[in-house]
Amino acid sequence: MIRSFLDAHGYDPGPSQRPLLSGAISGLLATLPAIGILVAFGSLKVEAAILGMSPLATLALGWAAMAIAGAAYARFFGRAANAVRGGWLFGMSFGFGLWAAGAVLLLPILNGGRTPADAAAAGVALSLIVWGLATGILVPFVHRPLHESLERASKNADVGPSAAAAKDESIRKQRRSTTN
Amino acid sequence: MIRVVALNKAIAAGLAGAAAMELFSVLSTAAGLRTVDMVAELGGLDFHGMPLLAHVGGVVVHLAIGICWAVFYAFFFWGRFHLRPIFQGLLFALLPATLAIVVVYPELALMRVHQPMLTLDVHRFFAPLGWATVASLLVDHALFGAALGLIYRRPVGYAVGRKPAPPRARRSGTSAPKRNPNASGFMFATGVECSYPTIDHGTWRRDEMESTRHYEFWQDDFRLAREIGITHIRYGPPLHLIFEAPGRYNWEYIDPQMAELEEFGPEPIIDLCHFGVPAWLGNLQNPDIGKALQEYAAAFAERFPWVRFYTPVNEMYVCARMSALDGLWNEQLHDEGAYGRAAWNLADASIRMSDALLERRPDAILINGESSEFYQPCCPDPEIEKIAKAANERRFLPLDLIFAHKLSPDMHELLYAQGISTADIEKRERRKVPRRSILGVDYYEWNERLIDREGHARALGELFGWYVIASQYWQRYRRPMMHTETNKMDAHGAARWLWRQWHNVQLLAKSGVPLVGFTWYSLTDQIDWSIGIAEAIGLVYPVGLFDLNRESRIVGLAYKHLIDLYKDHPDYSECKALKELMQ
Repeated sequence: MIRSFLDAHGYDPGPSQRPLLSGAISGLLATLPAIGILVAFGSLKVEAAILGMSPLATLALGWAAMAIAGAAYARFFGRAANAVRGGWLFGMSFGFGLWAAGAVLLLPILNGGRTPADAAAAGVALSLIVWGLATGILVPFVHRPLHESLERASKNADVGPSAAAAKDESIRKQRRSTTN
Repeated sequence: MIRVVALNKAIAAGLAGAAAMELFSVLSTAAGLRTVDMVAELGGLDFHGMPLLAHVGGVVVHLAIGICWAVFYAFFFWGRFHLRPIFQGLLFALLPATLAIVVVYPELALMRVHQPMLTLDVHRFFAPLGWATVASLLVDHALFGAALGLIYRRPVGYAVGRKPAPPRARRSGTSAPKRNPNASGFMFATGVECSYPTIDHGTWRRDEMESTRHYEFWQDDFRLAREIGITHIRYGPPLHLIFEAPGRYNWEYIDPQMAELEEFGPEPIIDLCHFGVPAWLGNLQNPDIGKALQEYAAAFAERFPWVRFYTPVNEMYVCARMSALDGLWNEQLHDEGAYGRAAWNLADASIRMSDALLERRPDAILINGESSEFYQPCCPDPEIEKIAKAANERRFLPLDLIFAHKLSPDMHELLYAQGISTADIEKRERRKVPRRSILGVDYYEWNERLIDREGHARALGELFGWYVIASQYWQRYRRPMMHTETNKMDAHGAARWLWRQWHNVQLLAKSGVPLVGFTWYSLTDQIDWSIGIAEAIGLVYPVGLFDLNRESRIVGLAYKHLIDLYKDHPDYSECKALKELMQ
C-alpha cells in the first residue's frame, strides 16, 4: 500500500545516487543519540538481558541492524528521503514503524514474550523514534557528497541514443541494476 | 518529493487537531464521562510527583505528535481521494487511531508497570483496552482528522492579492561557466515552468515558480542548466507580481535572476505572458489586455535591453481554451464565443507586444510557442467529422491571427459574432509578420486526439508523432521552427521519449524545414501537471530534468548525453536557420 502511495511519482533514486550507502552511513551516525537514550533509560541493560547477550555485544548487534535499517530506509523512500524538508518526517515514521513492528511485535515473539516495561520500554520507543528522526535529517546531507557527477553519470550508455529503442520497463530495470 | 507540503498549514492543522482531541477529553471528563486523555497518558510516564511538569510535558509531546501526523497526511495522503477535505481528514484519521489502539495505548500502559521486564501474552498486552477506551480513542482521532481536513487545503498557490516572498538575493562568487559565446549554434533548450493562471473563479493564484521553489533555488536552477549544457532557457518572469498597475512595476521579482542570466546564462527566451494576467486586468475577456501588455513589454525591453529572444504570449490556443472553453482557468467559461474573444485578445496582445519589443530592439527574435494539437474523427459520421473539423480550425485561430494567415469562414464568423469587425480581421490578415518570427511547436503524448462516437476528444498517444503534426504547422505558416516543449510524465520512460523526439527533430530538419532548437520542458518537476494546474493539490510530476530536490533524473543525464553528442557536430554547432535570423 505504501508503495502505491509513492509510486508513479518517480520517487526512485536517480542513477547518480547511492541510496544504500548513504542510508547505511546515516543509520550508523543516527545510532549515537539513540544509544544515549537507551543508556539513560536503562533500556540497554534490559534488552541485553532479554537477548541473553552482554550490553557491548547488544550494542554491536544494534549498530549493524541500524545500518541495514538505514540503507533500507533510504532505498525505500528514495527521492523523498533526500528532501531536506520532509526527510525528518519520513525518518521518524520509519523509526516509529521499526518500534511498532520490531520492538513491540517481533522482539517479544522471538524471546518467549519477554519485553521491556516501565522506563526501559519508554527508552526503546524514544530511541527508535530519535534514531529515525536523526536518520531522516542526515540522509539528505550525507547522500550529496556520495553522488556520482553529472558528467560521469551522463556517459552511461543506458541514457544514450539506444534509449530510444528501449522499452520503458527495461530502462527501469537497467537503471535499478546500475544504481545498486 | 511526492507532494508539495505547505508546512505552515500542516503545522497549524496538526496543532488544531491535537487541541481538538484534548478539548474533547477535558469537556467529556467535566461531563462525567470516562475518556482517554492522551496528554495525561503521555505526561504521566516519568514525572511522578510533578503534576505541572507532567502536564506541560504531556501537552508538548501530544502537540508534537499531532504535527507529525499532519505533515505525514500532507505528504502522503492529501488529495489522494476525490472527497471533501473534511472526509479526507476523517479517512486518514483511521490510521493514527488504529495505531493508537493496537500499539501505542497498550505500550503506554506497559511503560507504567514498575518492573523493568515482563513476560507478555496477547491477552495481557491488550488488557488495558476496554470498549469505552476504544470508543474514546476513535472519537478523539475523528476530531483530529476533521480538524486536519478542514485546515489543510490548497497547499500550493496563494490568494489573489497576496504576494509571495521575493526571490532569494543573488549569491556572488559562483565559479559556474560563463554564457555560451556561440550565438548561432542550435538551441538546446529547457524552460522553468512559470504558469500563473487564477483558479477558483479568480480567487486563487497558481504560481508554478513559487510551488517548485524556483524563487528560492533560482541560482541553483540556472547553474544546473549550464552543467547539462543547456544553451537557451525559456523563462517567464511573473507578470502578475511585476506589473502592479499601469506604469507601476515591481522589478524585485526578476532583477536578481536577470543579472545572473546576463552574466552567466543560459541565454534566456523571455516568456512575457504565460497563462494569466495581473488581477487588475481581470481576465482574458478584457479587450484592454493587449494595450496593457504592450506597455509591459516596452518597459521590460527598456529595463533589460540585452535580452534578444522573446515569447510574447505562450500557447495562446491552450490559454484561451483552458480559460474560456474548458472552464478551468481565469474567466472559467464554457463558451465558444468566449474562446473566440480570448483568442483574439491574446493574439492582439502578442502582436502589440512584438511591435513594442521590435521598436526597442529591432533585432529581437520572437519565438511564438504553441501547442501542436490534432483532432482525428473516429468514424465517417458527418457529425463527428464536423466536430473534428471545428476543433482543428480552432487550434489554428491564434496563430492564424499573428502570422497573417487567412481565417476559415467559421473562425471569421466566430470572431464577427463577438463584435470584431471584418475590417479588423482583414487588418490582421494583411499584417506584415516580423522577419525574425519563429514558430514554436510544443508536443506531448496527449496532443493527438480522437473524436469518439460521443463527440468527446480522447488522447491518442503518439500516433503520427511530432514530425507529422509539426509538418502541418510548417505547411500552413512557412516560418522557421523550433520544438519548444516536450516531456513525459513517466520518469522511467522519459529518456526514451527524449531521444524519440530528437529523432523527429532531425527528420524534420533533414526534410528542409529550417529548425533552430529543441526543448525539454521543464528544468524541474512540475506540480499538478496532469490536471492542468486547475486545482491546488500539490502533486509532483516527475517531468523535469531535475527533481524538486534539484537532483538529476534519468532524462537529465540523457539530455546531457544528447547535447554532448551533437553540440559540436557541424549541423548543430552552426545552425544555418538561426544564423540567418541573427543577422
